[in-house]
Amino acid sequence: MKKILSILTLAALLASCTSLIEEFQPVFTSKYEDPAVSKTVSLKPNITIADLCALYKTGSPWQIDRDLIIAGRVTTTDKPGNFYKSLYIQDETGGIELKLGKNGLYNYYQEGQMVYVRCFGLTLGMYGYKSGNYGGQGMVQLGYIDPTESYETAYLESSYLIDSHVFAGEKGEKVVPEVITESQLPQTYDTQASNPYIGKLVTLKGLKYANQIFCMLYIDSNKEKKMSANRIFLSDATWGVTTWAMSENKFKEYFDAGLWDSVQIGNSGDYNYGTVGQPKDPGFAMSKADIRAHAAAYSVSQYFTMGSREIQLRTSGYSKFGDEEIPKSVLDGTATVDMTGILSLYQGSIQFTVNSLEDIVINE
Amino acid sequence: MIKKLTITAVLLLAFVQAWAQLPSGGVKGIVVSRAGRTPIAGAQVLLMQDGDKVATATTGADGAFLIEALANGMYEMQLSADGYVSANVNVTVDGGFVKDMMIVSLLPEQVVAEVDDSSYVEFDMEDSGFTDNPTIMYGSTDVFANLAGYGFSSIRFKNRGYESESQDVYLAGVKMNDAITGYSPFSLWSGLNEAMRSKNTTIGMESADYGLGHFNGMTNILGNPTSVRPGWRFSVLSNSALYRLRLMANYASGELDNGFAYAFNVSARVGGNDWIEGVYYKNISYYAGVEKKFDSGSRLALFSFANTGHRGAQNASTQEVYNLMGDNMYNSNWGYQNGVVRNSRVRKTFEPVTVLKYTASPTDRLDVAATVLYRCGWNGYTALDWYDAPDPRPDYYRNLPSYFFMDDDDYNRSNEEKFAWASEMWNTRSKDFAGYQHLNWDRLYNVNYNQADGRSKYAQEQRHVDQRDLNLALSASWYATDNLRLDGGISGKINRTENYKKIADLLGGQYFLNIDQFAERDFASNEALTQNDLDYFLTNGSAEKIVKGGKYGYDYYAHVRKAQAWANGTWSKKGFTASLGGTVGYESFWREGLVRKGLFAGLDDAGNEISYQGRTLTTYDHKGRPITSKGESEKLGFLTYSGKLSLAYLLKGGHRFSLNAGYFNDAPTFKDAFVSPRTRNSVIEGLTTQKTISADVNYQWSRGGYNLRVTGFWTKIKDQTDLMSVYDDSQQSFVNFALTGIDQRHAGIEFGGKMPLPVQGLSLSGVLSWGEYIYTSNPLMTMTVDNSSEIVYENALIPFWKDSPKYHRVNYDKMNIIEVDWEGNPILDGYQKHHVASTPELATALSLNYRTRSYWFFELTGQYFAHSYLDMNPLYRTMAAVSGADGIATPEEIEYMATQEEFSPAFLMNLRIGKSWYIQRKYNFGFSLNVQNLLNNRDVRTGGYEQSRLISSTGKSRYYKFDSKYFYMPGTNYMLNLYFRF
Repeated sequence: MKKILSILTLAALLASCTSLIEEFQPVFTSKYEDPAVSKTVSLKPNITIADLCALYKTGSPWQIDRDLIIAGRVTTTDKPGNFYKSLYIQDETGGIELKLGKNGLYNYYQEGQMVYVRCFGLTLGMYGYKSGNYGGQGMVQLGYIDPTESYETAYLESSYLIDSHVFAGEKGEKVVPEVITESQLPQTYDTQASNPYIGKLVTLKGLKYANQIFCMLYIDSNKEKKMSANRIFLSDATWGVTTWAMSENKFKEYFDAGLWDSVQIGNSGDYNYGTVGQPKDPGFAMSKADIRAHAAAYSVSQYFTMGSREIQLRTSGYSKFGDEEIPKSVLDGTATVDMTGILSLYQGSIQFTVNSLEDIVINE
Repeated sequence: MIKKLTITAVLLLAFVQAWAQLPSGGVKGIVVSRAGRTPIAGAQVLLMQDGDKVATATTGADGAFLIEALANGMYEMQLSADGYVSANVNVTVDGGFVKDMMIVSLLPEQVVAEVDDSSYVEFDMEDSGFTDNPTIMYGSTDVFANLAGYGFSSIRFKNRGYESESQDVYLAGVKMNDAITGYSPFSLWSGLNEAMRSKNTTIGMESADYGLGHFNGMTNILGNPTSVRPGWRFSVLSNSALYRLRLMANYASGELDNGFAYAFNVSARVGGNDWIEGVYYKNISYYAGVEKKFDSGSRLALFSFANTGHRGAQNASTQEVYNLMGDNMYNSNWGYQNGVVRNSRVRKTFEPVTVLKYTASPTDRLDVAATVLYRCGWNGYTALDWYDAPDPRPDYYRNLPSYFFMDDDDYNRSNEEKFAWASEMWNTRSKDFAGYQHLNWDRLYNVNYNQADGRSKYAQEQRHVDQRDLNLALSASWYATDNLRLDGGISGKINRTENYKKIADLLGGQYFLNIDQFAERDFASNEALTQNDLDYFLTNGSAEKIVKGGKYGYDYYAHVRKAQAWANGTWSKKGFTASLGGTVGYESFWREGLVRKGLFAGLDDAGNEISYQGRTLTTYDHKGRPITSKGESEKLGFLTYSGKLSLAYLLKGGHRFSLNAGYFNDAPTFKDAFVSPRTRNSVIEGLTTQKTISADVNYQWSRGGYNLRVTGFWTKIKDQTDLMSVYDDSQQSFVNFALTGIDQRHAGIEFGGKMPLPVQGLSLSGVLSWGEYIYTSNPLMTMTVDNSSEIVYENALIPFWKDSPKYHRVNYDKMNIIEVDWEGNPILDGYQKHHVASTPELATALSLNYRTRSYWFFELTGQYFAHSYLDMNPLYRTMAAVSGADGIATPEEIEYMATQEEFSPAFLMNLRIGKSWYIQRKYNFGFSLNVQNLLNNRDVRTGGYEQSRLISSTGKSRYYKFDSKYFYMPGTNYMLNLYFRF
């Protein structure tokens, strides 16, 4: 009995000692060692990007229910801000946009770096499709299910969701763009499955400025953007816009110069809300100052021609080079440009997005 | 006959002579406690002359004593009483009169000797305007102060609802409240409990002989070596809610024969705690002093101290995060680096204070004192900084499940599948998920490794507030007559505080670029506007690459000058005391920018506009003044003054009635005077002095172990200013809300009582503080963003600041809706008053105390707190916020947005046990154990704040609030102290 008691006492003492040691565990406050460089991942792809895109049926977003793995090298960077919250990867067969939904993606996935996507659970969908005579295909993208059905895919956004599906592989040299000719440009109803250049980094040469922009402005972007009364379209002419895009500050400069005063507010065929110079909708704006009060940055599509084809160079108002002036020689047609960027389709029209201004070469 | 007459005359004369030879002089007075001015019954009065005992007396229940039949001459009177520091007073009896000493006050010993400010939970609430100071610092026998001052600190109780800056804290006669913020400066000497133990404290509106004070009490920490308890003393303390271990050593010589006295105190506080991961201490505090008493009786003391080290800070999170982590003490500031816990927010300080004090008594009716005090050193606070990379904070709202799905589809958050992913990320407890639930240092480093140019995307910055603070205080006390005493003094302060930040750690990168990233987004085509240091850019053609230790971002001086004169006269007779005092002063301050920010370039040294590549950078405010970041701002000056009247009457039987009233006209503080002090010289419009009128009435009674105080107080504060700065991730910058014209009213009662119970040594104490601390005005707000010259709102009225409407609700068709009258107007039930936040308006405690003759003590306390409110964000009380994007304010929106959150009441139990042993009457060994929150109540909110962001509804017709962030009280925690002294 006595023995058991002393053993128990000893055990209790020992237990209290260990808990005491645990209680008095010192806090580490010395110099923290630099963490190791993260290991890169390597997976074996089992489908090409073009084949994956071919699994998509226009109008039917597909939540991927098979263990498909694609691999591709990163062709875009969001560092200059012209790409935002997503990146493109491409393999031999095609390119695709990954809608990751985070800022500063270039910090994790760099141009030329291998990226593997475990597609199971992600959603394959299209952005920019429009039916009818003036419509056409958009881009097949890889994103996540969007229960609101506003779009066919949503951004992944959740870190854990991204880390479970998208893996950074080994780093590599930047992808060398393919130079393509007018005849290789996609047609209205092409997709990544039928045209190998869609979604890829390509170079187009000898483009001419077409004296036309497209830019949709909102009177108040905090209000319903689908309302006609909230929209102002700058289209069919240049409207004095001589920069690739416009930051909020640049917007104010153009606006204050009165270049758009005569532009009608509203969707075409619904011009009932006055003009930019004299708005007349109490719900949105009753004066020019009301519009200026909600100034914002806007993307601009600058139109170019490549032979007989129209190319819309689309630049974000949040990109660092958006406010740069387009060289005079380009604007007056004396110089052509060569561009390197991602070739895409929007409602069957060709859009083109560059990573940075270095991707636009002026041929004086 | 003549002979008979002569004999009679001679006899009579002889008798008279004989009678006259019996001395007719004497001394009398009333002994009171310096805290609360309550009479001390049973105090021993010992009169000595040339080392010999002449007479003794004991005070009665009213504290009065009388010693008669004293010959003319000088005496030394020694006063002692249980629980009080003994005092010696020189008395001169002359003219054969009984000298009336009037009131003689004794300094109470700290009743709970081992309780100190380090047991107060300290928070990191810098960004929300909170400080890490203890609520009340009483060392007194006032029952209320005893139970509330220490016991209520865990709930962040604010005495009478007042902010900490309203409490005047002096050290050796110099007012120490921070020159820039007004906050009380306890952290300067925390850890030096022994050296700083002796203090004079007044409550509420009472004045003292070192200053007139305001309306929230005064504390003067003596600090000089002779005020430190003589002897050696060692202690070991462990605290499970703050830091693991405190080791302290203390020695004081007391006054030596040669007139010198020495004292030193050192302590080390180290380790973490059981409740909040990441919170730790690594502190060393020291104090050393020497004092000399000269033959003239004057004294010169020199002492210096500092508290240096590191302290990991805590952060508030939303309830959603706490629920996901299953822990209300979750702290988002830390994460694992190589498997080791690292806190991103660490306060690093070294602010030595040096004091030279001279006291003298040129005559026995005049005491004078002069103090010079200098404070310098540095105070840094680390934080993460990042450029063009994802927000690293684990509890960033986009990482939370609620960002993806909310039950109410009007929030436009409808992706249940993403909600499930985010929930799993937070709910899974394994090593693989720690990087999501806490800071992911490894990931931050790897982002930096990925930058080919060596540019750090993440860095740890250290924000500095480095003070140079020189003070002079002179004071005198003149006992003009036996009934009249005059106290007065002058004081001055010169302060220059440098505010800047520097790179503390590049986290694996080579440099951090000194540009303003938000400005970069807005002014993409004008590089000059994005510069934090435009002069460097214009000289070198590019922004500076900052390496470790380099200053960047902002850098400016706050200059403050203060001068004040004060006087207080006290007249007393037969238990009646009246005092009247006043101050007059002048305060001035200005900002001096040390770098030129591109956005606020101002004019160059020659007064010309600044331009870059043909574009003018200089901008102007609406009054046509250039908006300037560099150079000196306008110098602001304010005349300050105050007046105080106190009346007190001490009745026989220990009853004391008193009444205090005062008016105070105070300057705003530097911290509240600039729209965006980090970036520009622009001053808040309409800046004016703060006016306070305050009054209290008190009844005190003390007799035979019974002790009672009842106070009623009323205070009205007008024209306060406040600058709140919060980090807004959508702006990637600090957003500033500058409020002017804030009025408050504080009214309530305070009760403290102690009664002995029939069992020897057993007593019962109770306290109650019950008040209403409300806003009584709707202030004006100017809202700016650090990184934008645009003024979002300028002097806009905050219509729902002081109250918000409560509409009548009815149940209709299973819905609770606001009822409307026949015209369709909502029916109003009344208004919710909005309250001064983060303190319970009802705070009570009942305590059972048992002390044995063998030096054991036990104390069990129950506390109840209610009516505590969440700190308000002015943005949510604007018309814009209650209107939504459609500009239409509905009753539902107003009620939802503007209502102030009230915290749930809390009931807590605390236990204290202690014991002392004396060995050979020379060595004293003891312990005290303090167990807080015995019931392990883990749902007690102690404070928090509203975020300053809005969510636009799906239909864009209204806004929703971001979730508020809260601080919680830790569950059961202990503090054990072992001490040894001789």
